[in-house]
Formats: sequence, C-alpha cells, structure tokens
Amino acid sequence: MNSKKQILMEIIGKENVFDDPETLEAYSRDYSFALPMKPWIVVYPENVGAVQKIVQWANRTQTPLVPVSSGPPHFYGDTVPSVASAVVVNLSKMNRILRIDRRNRMALIEPGVAYGQLQPELAKEGLKLNTPLLPRANKSVVASLLERQPPLVPRYQWAFLDPLRCLELVWGDGQVFTTGEAERPGSLEEEWAKKLAQVAAPGPHQTDFYKLVSAAQGSMGIVTWASVKCQMLPEIHKLFLIPSERPENIIDFTYQLLRFRFGDELLLLNRSNLASILEADTDQISVLTEKLPPWILVVGVAGLSILPEERVAFQEKDITEMAHQNGLQLLQGIPGAKADEVLHAILNPSRDPFWKLKFQGNMQDIFFLTTLDKTPGFVRIMRAIAEAHGYPVSEIGVYIQPVHQGAGCHCEFNLPFNHNDPAETSRIRGLFTRASEELLKEGAFFSRPYGIWADMAFKRDIQTTTVLKKIKGIFDPNHVMNPGKLCFHPPSP
Amino acid sequence: MALEDYQAEMERCSQCSYCTWIPLDRIKSWRFAKGCPSVAYNHFQSYSARGRYAVALSLLQGKSEYTDKVLDIVYKCHTCGSCDVSCKICRYNLEPLAAILELRAKLVEDSQSLPEHRVLIDHLHKEQNMMLKPKTARGRWAEGLNIKDLATETAEVVFHAGCRLSYDAQLQKTARTAVALLRDAGVDVGILGDKETCCGSRAYTMGYRKELTNSAARLMKAWTRAGVTTVVTSCADCYHAFKRRYPEVGATVEVLHTVEFIDRLIKQDKIKFTRAVPLTVTYHDPCHLGRQGEPYVPWKGIEKKIRKQIIVYEPRRPRYNGAWGVYDPPRDVLRSIPGVKLVEMERIREYAWCCGAGAGVREAYPDFSRWTATERIEEASHAGAEAIVSACPWCERNFIDAAATQGDGLKVFDVVDLVSQAI
Amino acid sequence: MALLRDIYQALEDTVGERNISEDPAVLDSYSYPLTQTAIHMGPFYDVYTPRGKAVLMPGTPQEVQAIVRICNRYNLKLKASSTFWSAMGYPSGENTIQLDMRRMDRILEIDEKNLFAVIEPGVIGTTLQAETMKLGLNTHIIGAGSSCSPLASATSYNGAGPDCMFMGFGDENLLGLEWVMPDGEILRTGSLGSGLGWFCGEGPGPGVRGIIRGVVGAKGAMGVFTKCAIKLYPWPGPPELPVEGTAPAYKAVLPDNFKAYTLAFPTWKAWADCCYQIWDAGIGYIAHRQFSLFGRELKAAMIKILTDPTKTLYDLEELVQDPEIKKLNEEMKRDFQIVLAGMTPRDIEWQNKALDHILAETGGWKVTGMNKPEIQQWALLYLIRLGHKNLNLVYGGGYDGCFGMVGPPDLGTTHAEEVTKFKCEWENKGAIVDAGGDCMIGGIGGMGGGGGTMWENFTHFDPHDKESTEGTFDFFEACSRFAREKGIPPGMERWNAPSRGADGRETPTEKREHMLSATPQPAVFYYQRKIKEAIDPNNLGDAYYLTLKEPKK
Repeated sequence: MNSKKQILMEIIGKENVFDDPETLEAYSRDYSFALPMKPWIVVYPENVGAVQKIVQWANRTQTPLVPVSSGPPHFYGDTVPSVASAVVVNLSKMNRILRIDRRNRMALIEPGVAYGQLQPELAKEGLKLNTPLLPRANKSVVASLLERQPPLVPRYQWAFLDPLRCLELVWGDGQVFTTGEAERPGSLEEEWAKKLAQVAAPGPHQTDFYKLVSAAQGSMGIVTWASVKCQMLPEIHKLFLIPSERPENIIDFTYQLLRFRFGDELLLLNRSNLASILEADTDQISVLTEKLPPWILVVGVAGLSILPEERVAFQEKDITEMAHQNGLQLLQGIPGAKADEVLHAILNPSRDPFWKLKFQGNMQDIFFLTTLDKTPGFVRIMRAIAEAHGYPVSEIGVYIQPVHQGAGCHCEFNLPFNHNDPAETSRIRGLFTRASEELLKEGAFFSRPYGIWADMAFKRDIQTTTVLKKIKGIFDPNHVMNPGKLCFHPPSP
Repeated sequence: MALEDYQAEMERCSQCSYCTWIPLDRIKSWRFAKGCPSVAYNHFQSYSARGRYAVALSLLQGKSEYTDKVLDIVYKCHTCGSCDVSCKICRYNLEPLAAILELRAKLVEDSQSLPEHRVLIDHLHKEQNMMLKPKTARGRWAEGLNIKDLATETAEVVFHAGCRLSYDAQLQKTARTAVALLRDAGVDVGILGDKETCCGSRAYTMGYRKELTNSAARLMKAWTRAGVTTVVTSCADCYHAFKRRYPEVGATVEVLHTVEFIDRLIKQDKIKFTRAVPLTVTYHDPCHLGRQGEPYVPWKGIEKKIRKQIIVYEPRRPRYNGAWGVYDPPRDVLRSIPGVKLVEMERIREYAWCCGAGAGVREAYPDFSRWTATERIEEASHAGAEAIVSACPWCERNFIDAAATQGDGLKVFDVVDLVSQAI
Repeated sequence: MALLRDIYQALEDTVGERNISEDPAVLDSYSYPLTQTAIHMGPFYDVYTPRGKAVLMPGTPQEVQAIVRICNRYNLKLKASSTFWSAMGYPSGENTIQLDMRRMDRILEIDEKNLFAVIEPGVIGTTLQAETMKLGLNTHIIGAGSSCSPLASATSYNGAGPDCMFMGFGDENLLGLEWVMPDGEILRTGSLGSGLGWFCGEGPGPGVRGIIRGVVGAKGAMGVFTKCAIKLYPWPGPPELPVEGTAPAYKAVLPDNFKAYTLAFPTWKAWADCCYQIWDAGIGYIAHRQFSLFGRELKAAMIKILTDPTKTLYDLEELVQDPEIKKLNEEMKRDFQIVLAGMTPRDIEWQNKALDHILAETGGWKVTGMNKPEIQQWALLYLIRLGHKNLNLVYGGGYDGCFGMVGPPDLGTTHAEEVTKFKCEWENKGAIVDAGGDCMIGGIGGMGGGGGTMWENFTHFDPHDKESTEGTFDFFEACSRFAREKGIPPGMERWNAPSRGADGRETPTEKREHMLSATPQPAVFYYQRKIKEAIDPNNLGDAYYLTLKEPKK
C-alpha cells in the first residue's frame, strides 16, 4: 500500500479514507466550468485533532488539501482540485451541534452541520438562523457563512459576516486556533460555566482572524467549529408580495424599508426565479413564469416573543402606507403565487432537486456585490448580453438581495441550461465569460471570486492581491491549502 | 496669581480638545463647528487652550525656553474665551482663559513681548489710548452734542466712548448716536471728553496688567470726582474691563452696555420707533459683552478636596462659564425695530465665534485677525443676513475691513445705528 | 537630538513649512501625561510620553505616503493621531515622527441611499452627526464621545459605545478603507480597491483589512488610515438637534418619537434578563449604563448639578445628604439608560409597549425622578450627542477604568456587587474618589443587535497629587489580582501594559514577551509578528501593535 495512504489511515482510521474510482470521480468535477481534476484520495476526519494531523502531514509532504463540508451538488469550482494529487478533506462527519444557547441566542456547530439538520434543532429552542435563499438541505452552514452567502434578513447583518461569529480552525501551517471571544483559557464547558458564550466575532486582539478565512475557498485553513448568532423564531410570520413591472419601481421603497429597518425578509426575485422556487413540476415552471408578475419584492414581517401581534400589525400598516406612497401594493397573493407558500419555501432548504437545477438540469450563476440603486442597470446589461448570445432573456433568473443592512446589495443572475446539449453548453460558457467581463467593467464587485472571476477581480486590485499573498504566506506558508484558488497560483513545476 | 499657581490645572487638563470646538451639543454643521480661531488657523494643537496648558507646563518645568514659536503660540490668541466656555461644559475646576492670560502676563514680565504691542503700550503710557492718536483729540467725536463735560461737571451716568469710538472716524457716529439717545431719553449723562483715558482692557489681554490697574485708578478717580454711579459704554472691551476687572481693584459703579440701557429705555417706552428699517440682520455677540460679560462675583478662597479627591473651592467659587453674559438685550432691541428681521448664525451667545480683533492680534497678526473676521462674515452670509450687527466697535471695525475684501456686500452696523435709523 | 537637517528638509518639503515643527514647546504639547489617563495602564506620576522628533500635519494621502517613505528610508518611527486623546496616539520611543491628522478633516461624501459616509481622520463624531442628521441619518458614536474621530475608532481602537445595540460596533461599521501601509504602499480595501466605490469592506476573497482591526484596532502602530467609509443609521428626528438651555445644562426637546428612560431593577438577574429581552425584541436606539460613572452614591447629586446651571461641584456634599437624592441613588442602584427612537408614530408606540411589557416581566421600572422633562431632555441630548464625555474627568482631571467584565450580561451581573465592595474598600483608603464603589459604566449591547455588556469601573483621582496617582496605580494592581482570584476575566486596567511601561516608553521586550506568552493564545502574537514583518519591514510602528517571537520548535 502507498505509504502516504498508510499514514493517513493511521491518522484518521481506515474507515475514513477513500480512493475508489467512483469517489474520486465524484470530487473531480462539479457544475461549474472548472477543469476537472481528480483528487488522489478523500479523507473524513472526525475531530480537530485529526484535522490538525492531516494539515501537519500535508505540510511535511507538500500535499495539497481541498476542504469540503457540504454535500453535493457543488457549483463554483472551489471544491474541485486545481492541482494534481490533492487530498479532499471532507468534514461532513464533523456534524455535531455542540451547543444551542437560547439565552444568548448562539449556536456552536461543526462544519458538517447542514441547514437541514440545524434549523429544526434551533426551532426546538425557539430560535432560527438567518439563512440564505433556499440553500441545499445538505449545505454546510459553516461553509455557507464562510463563503459570505447573503442571508435573507438584511437588518440582522450589522457585520458583513453576520451571523458568523467565533471560529475554531486549523490554519494552513497546522496551528489550531480560536478566533474572537472564543479565545479564552478554559475549555468550552469551562467558559460556559463562567457565563461566556462565544458571542463577539472580532479579534482576538488586533486582527480579525475570521475575516482571513472568509471567502477564502479553503485556501487559508480548515474551520472545525463556528459560533453563529441566531434570531428569535417568529411566533407570527407574515409575508407580503409586492409585484412590479420593472425593478426600478421598487428601489426607493426598498431603500425606505432598509433605512427604517422595517420588515424582516427582504429580497427581490424575478418571475423566473420565483417560479423555479415554487413549482415542483419542472414542466410547469415556464407556465408559472408566465403567470407571475415580472418582478416580485418579497417582504416578511415577523412577530417575535414580545407582543408579536402588535409588531406585525403596526409594521404591516406602516409598510403598506410606504408602499402606497411609492405606487406599490402589499399583497398576500399575486397571480401564480400566495404569500404563505412563498414564505414556506424561503424559510426552508430547497427540496430535491435543487431549485436552481429544476428547470433545465444545469445552471450557471453570476453574482457580485453592488449597491441596490445600480441593480436595474446590471439587469439591463445582462439581458443585452444574453440576447446577443441568443439566450432567451425570459429564462434568466434574477435575485437581488440587500446585505449589510443596505450598505450593499448582492446581485445574482441564474442561467439555467441543458448540459446534455453541447452547443448550448458552449453558448452558456461564452455567455458566462462575456457577461462576467462586461458586468465587471460596469462596476460589478466580484467579492467572492470563484473560477474565472478570480483573475478578473484580482487583476483589478493589485495591491490587495499583493497583501493577500503575504497573508497566505503567513498562514499557509507551504501553500498546501487548496492551491490554485483566488490569486494563489501554484508554482510552476 | 502667578503662572505657577496654574500648574495644578495644567496637570488636571482633560486632554479632551473640547476647547477646540464650540460646545459639542451646539454644533449644527461641519462648517461652523470650530470655536477656537487660533487652533483653527494655526492647526498645531499647541494653539489650543489644551496646547497652551502644555506649553506653559513645559516652560515651568524648564523643559523648553522662549522661542519665536512659543511667542507665536502665546500671542496668536484672541483671548476670546471660547475655550473656557467649552471646557466648562464639563469641568468645574479648570480656568483655561485665566491661565492663558496669566501665561501672557508672564511673558511680558519676562520681557518676551511683541514689538507691535510695545509700540501700542508705549503710546498708551504717553497718550492714554490704544489708537496711536494724540490724547488731545480724544473728545472731538462729541463736538456739537452739548453733553456734560465731567471734567468740570457732575452726572449720574458717564458715557465712556472708548479708544476705538473716540478716534475711528467711520465709527464715531455710534458714540454720538448712543450718547444722544441717552441724553434725549432724559438720562443725566456726561462724558470725560479728552480727559477720558483708555480702560486698559486691551493692554491687559496683551499681558500688560499694571496698565489696566493704572487706567482703573485714573478713571475711578475721575468718576468719583464727577459723582458718577453708572458707567455706560458702547465698547465691549471697556464693558468687560469695568464690569469684571475694575471691581477687583475696588470699583463699585454700576456698569451697563449701551444696548442694555437702550433695551431698558425701549421697554420703559422712553424710546419710540417711527420708521421701519427693512433689513435682514444677524447679531454678532462680542466676546467681552457675551461670554466674558457676566456679572462679577468677588471671591477669595482656597482649593480643597471633598470625597477624598474631588477638587472644589472654599468658599464656593464663582463659575464664569458664559451662561449669564449679555445676550438677550441686544436681540430684544433688534427685534423691536420695525422692519428688522433677525436671523441667527450657528455660533451665537456663549459659543459665538470671535471677531478677530482682540488681545493685540489685529495689531500683531493682521492676516490671522482678518481670517477670523472673514470666517464670521461667511457665517453671517450663510445665515442669510444682509447685515451683521454688533455692539462693539472693535468687532465692527474688523468686520468692515474683512467685508471690504470679501466683496459680497455684507453691511456692518452697530445696534445703535439701526436704532437711530428707526427713530 | 534633533533630526538631521536633510531629513527635516525632506519632511518640510513634503508638508510645507507651515505644517511642520520641531520646537521643543510644540513637541511638549504633543506629549501626553501618563498621570492623567494613560488608558488602561499606569497611571504613572509625572511621566510623559517621549518627545517626537518633529510633528507634521499632512493634508493629503500623498503627503502621508511621502512621509511614510521618508521614515522607511531613514529608519524613523511614525505615530499618527486624530484627536490625541489617549496614550495610544503618542510615541513610545525616541526617534518618532508624529502626525497630527487634523488638516485632513473633510466629510467627502454622504451616500444617503446606501447609508454610508466617507470621512477623513480629522472628522469628529459631532460634525459627522450634524451633517448626517440633516439627511435623516446618524452615526455610531463611541463611548469616549463625539469629540473623537470615527475613523480612528473604526480602525485604531475599540469602538464600542452606547448606541452599539442599534448602530453596531466600530468594526462592524467600517466599509472601504484607504490605508497608507507602513511599507509606504497605499491599500484600498474591498470594493474601493477595485475602483468600485466604498460600499463593501471585504474582498475580493478574504477580508484583508482583518489584519488591522480585531477588537482593539491598530492603535496607531500600523501606518496611517487616510479615508474610510462608515456605515450610517436612520435618524427619525429633526434635521438639526433642537438644543436649548443655559450652559452647561443644555437639553434637547425632541418630538414624541424619542424617549429617554432610566430603568432600574430589583436584582442583577432582572437587570440581565431585561438586557436579553430588549435584544430579543429588537427595540431601543441607545442603551448604556451611563450615569453610574459618577458613582453609586454621587450620581443623583451629579445629575442635579449638571442640570442646574447655578450649581457647581461645591454643592455636591450638601446634595448628597438630601434625603430625596439618597432615595434616588438607592432606586437607581441597578440601572441603565435607554433611548427609544421610533421611525414612525406606530413604531414608538409599539416600542414603548414592548418596553413596558419587558419591565413587567422582569420586575423593572422606569425611574420617575429621571422622567422629569428637564432631566429627560438633558439625558436625551447627553446620550444622542455624547458631547459631555469630558465628564469622565469632572472630579479632578484623572480617570481610568478597571475591571470591564466584557461579555454577556450574566457575566457582569454575577460579579457586580463583589467588585463594588472591593472598590469601596479602596475608596476608603483615600487615593481615589469616594463614590460608592460602583462607578461601572458600559454599553448595553456591545455590538449590533446586542449580546454583550461592559462594566468599566471608573476610577477618579487627582493627577496633580502624587499620592493620589500612586494610590490609583496600586489600586489597579490590586484589581488585577482580585480578578485572578475571583475568576473574573482580565480587566481593562492593564490592557495596554504590554505596550508601554512606567517610564512612558515601550515596555521592555522581555517583560512584554512574558506577558504575551501568558495569554490564552500566544499564537495570536506570533501571527501578528509575521503580519508586521510582512507589511512593516522597517519597524515604523511601535509596540502598541503586539508581537511575539515564536519559540524555536
């Protein structure tokens, strides 16, 4: 047997090491256009000690590691090795919910904890997490937060990385480390006994270490647990749908809601995306798309533990007035959709098949950050490019999500396509590349630079690239963590 | 007191830089937030009250010596007292303005005065005025007014014109109008004419304390001889000297500014307006009438501690924080003039921006003085005023000179000028 | 020793003759007394920070960059400060160039829609607040008050304050940042670096600016920050704060959608319960245990003095004996202040109801004595503008804080009484103001959405008095020992002890390394050392940026 494989088996147990062709094939590609690359082996550590040993071994042997926490499918190429002979470190077996602290509204979770697992457990304690839009049930919560996937309720994002708080992680150099308030002398249990709760994210001291692993695509270290800030589970939860012919019509109104911090869930979908979310029957998605208004602003209002009815009632009245002042209507139903079903859909992980894949079987996402007022312009640009590439504009899914309490806005275009059709696949590849370039030119900020966006984004910001490489050199001096991602090009052979 | 007596304060300064700004609660904009012209113009922290505490301490501790820069720091200050007001929003045991004045006096005592000031003081010694003019010409502003001459007659009220109004040809009308108003309202008023001497206030703020004491002695003697019980003046510098400095050396006369007197007369119906003056104006609070125009409270006492380490004074020490200056009488006068619309600048009352003329700055640092005045002119224009009105000829002179370079046509008046236009 | 003339000339050529000085008296005005409030170390009687070699006032980032490059070339250290109100902003060794950032004081942009402002380091909280209020917006103001620089707080020190619960903590509010790094390069972070505006502080990829913030920021030891974007918040009030009153008893008469209350509780547990429920409900605009800074036995009397323009500290002894004042102090023993601000009439109505509901559930109440209009209006202005933080030093000019107990409310409330008793014992010894032991002040929130409280026990002393100052030092040493014995997390009184020592200079390396090695996670400082080596190769910054040599493996 290969001695490296032997060592790995000794570190984490034989039952946690896989190099059969089927397993390797599954990790060699994803739904993105990343070049397929088979890993050498896949390992499943069960605790931080094992993770540390793997990383230390990788340093000694100069073996690339690719951390993976979520179950498939994967979409952005970050979990596909960029170099040969990589070890995929799959953290799905580290799936304990270490603690749910209702009083402090904190949960401590391992990276293998997925949305489908966490939300019901939180609900038992009267809590919920501010989740992204219909994540996969097997999507790792920690990975989602590290990737900075935008959550649905912008008013809960005081920090851009909210609700992510403290971390325990193994840096690329093999050091086990805790960030934020979690840096304390005692064990977690000892700290809890002292009434501490791993609430505050910054630090320790003069470095926001947790920011250095965010959107890092596993290239700085491996997180082994995270504390996350939860919200109260609503006792009453109403959703309102505000239809519009054009996205421009709802921008000012959305800004007003953000400024006043009224409403909870606040997101804009076009008909195509809402249809994909609601319609279980793939063949009926187009039909539903036609029924729905072109744009739908989704506004949730939650009544929590204190005077819930009153909260919902007053906000409904105020938001209705604000909507009227903007020529809009707050509705409980629109042609093709009822508020209740939308609420149910967005409060839960996606059913299978993943909602974005339902329509055509495959899709490419283009997403970036901007400000809300610029999003209609980006929609126009995307449409023009799609038309130029012969892509049906009506099939583009659009998802606009204010983030960080309105300071920024996530703008996302979903391009479903049939990957069994080579011509269509080629067209989508061309469209994806061209659209990414044009959007970047017009001001799109690819803050999560997957795949081809990495070169585009980093070339635009040479100084950040320089500093980031220095940081990489500190925390992963031997470049074992997911080489080839971001601006970390592997050295030439 | 000597500079050493302020050492405790220097060490107890909060280091907060509140002295740089108007009271933070009162800030309405970025543009008009600053309170201290000195640090706003010169920028180095040394030019703030906090900075001057540190410079004074450094000198006392022998860590530094007099240099041109030290003189620049000490003398490029209008002694307007804005720092004092802002400091005392929170502090009850610091006296930054008094310490600044003491620092100045110390420099003069150590022969570290400015040549521009020495010229004025030499002239003061010879001709008893700060205008570099002959004393024999002092009373000419009142020619033809038929006002009692207190060199030979007696009266209850003396109108003290002050150096600026006595000699500034463009502004003399204010003195003429003021005394005529008093006379016509039946007030038993007289003037000292060419026997009037400088009040000593400006010399005091330049660091020349004994000149004020000497002036006080001269004037008090003259007033006593003339049977005066009330002093009225149209100059804020003189007002401050008479109200706050002279009692320290035994004066007991009542002191009023012309605007206070006129306000009284209007409220007693002894002045009636017959004409409208259609003008949008803003009122500039002179430092020495406003925040430095508070009533004098005699005090002699010591510092003591309560609750182990709280610094207080026994007996209770008066707190001059600008709260009780003369702010409302001039405004009431302006509001009562038909046609006048009073708009307020952002920095008013105890937190007004200085005119720039004070403490020898106009004479020694004309650029800085003009800059300070120009800031105020801009603030007045920003408030929407057609005219800036004040109650001190030094302020008015500085504004007139600054407005002339601005070219935006802002007019400058004394309160008394508008009163006379309406009668 | 003065700077070599050619170095001085190069610096003068950069900023202009008017904006540089090496005059000793000027330099002494840029030297900080470590007696007065050293900020979490000392105090050290008659000790000052060392004189800089020169003080410069740059006007542009390009000038700053040029200065940094000169410092690199000639191995000079560099320390910049905006308002110079704490020892962090001052040199801790010889051979340091000081930068006074006050000339760079512009508010460059206020983006009303996307809720951020772009500011230079010389902008203070008050002027930013005044300008943003005109547009119906407000800014987070730190606990040290609105005379401080929001840029400095966001980048270079803590950044907590009374409004954190609603308006977040310094770290949370920082968006794009322009930073002249110690190596002389200019880094613009997040979307700014890509030329796309200020709205996002992170990316592309990891948040690079994580290397200078953390809990306590760069403390002036990692280059110079020349611009930043700060997140803004709604202000549902008039465009200008309506301030009335006679100095110093100013007050703000705000519309009915603003309310300020002092809440009090029968037990510390009820106090903590209320905090949690307020956060759960999402109500409140500002919440802080503010007036306790005056001391449990003195606060009601001090409020009386501060709201009456005819009163002074002299009246304190008499007032403290007043039975009504005593009763009020007793009632407010376990208190904090809260400001509610409703975005709409229905909002304030609901918030008021929610607060009443929470009080009923926790057994708390609104202190009637603090509800009198003149006091409520004074409290509103105080808490919104936070322009009276000089009051920290009201008693005699010396203050510093101990304990801290930063963490969830259950942590602080567990130890509040034993800390009070301990401080009372020391107050009786005479070096510090006898205020009743509990001078604990701190935010109800700690971060956006709440989650933490702080209990900085204000310690008032006389910096002119050697015994008082040295006694305060002894007290703080005793606090650290007491905390260790009682299992209370390390207090604030020695937060900066690893950086600067009793002679006003950098703590000796061996001592610093000993302290840092004893922390729960020395690896923090190994990494910080590597970060420093990477971006400050010529060691321009001082030991306020903490580093530790990794032991050989």
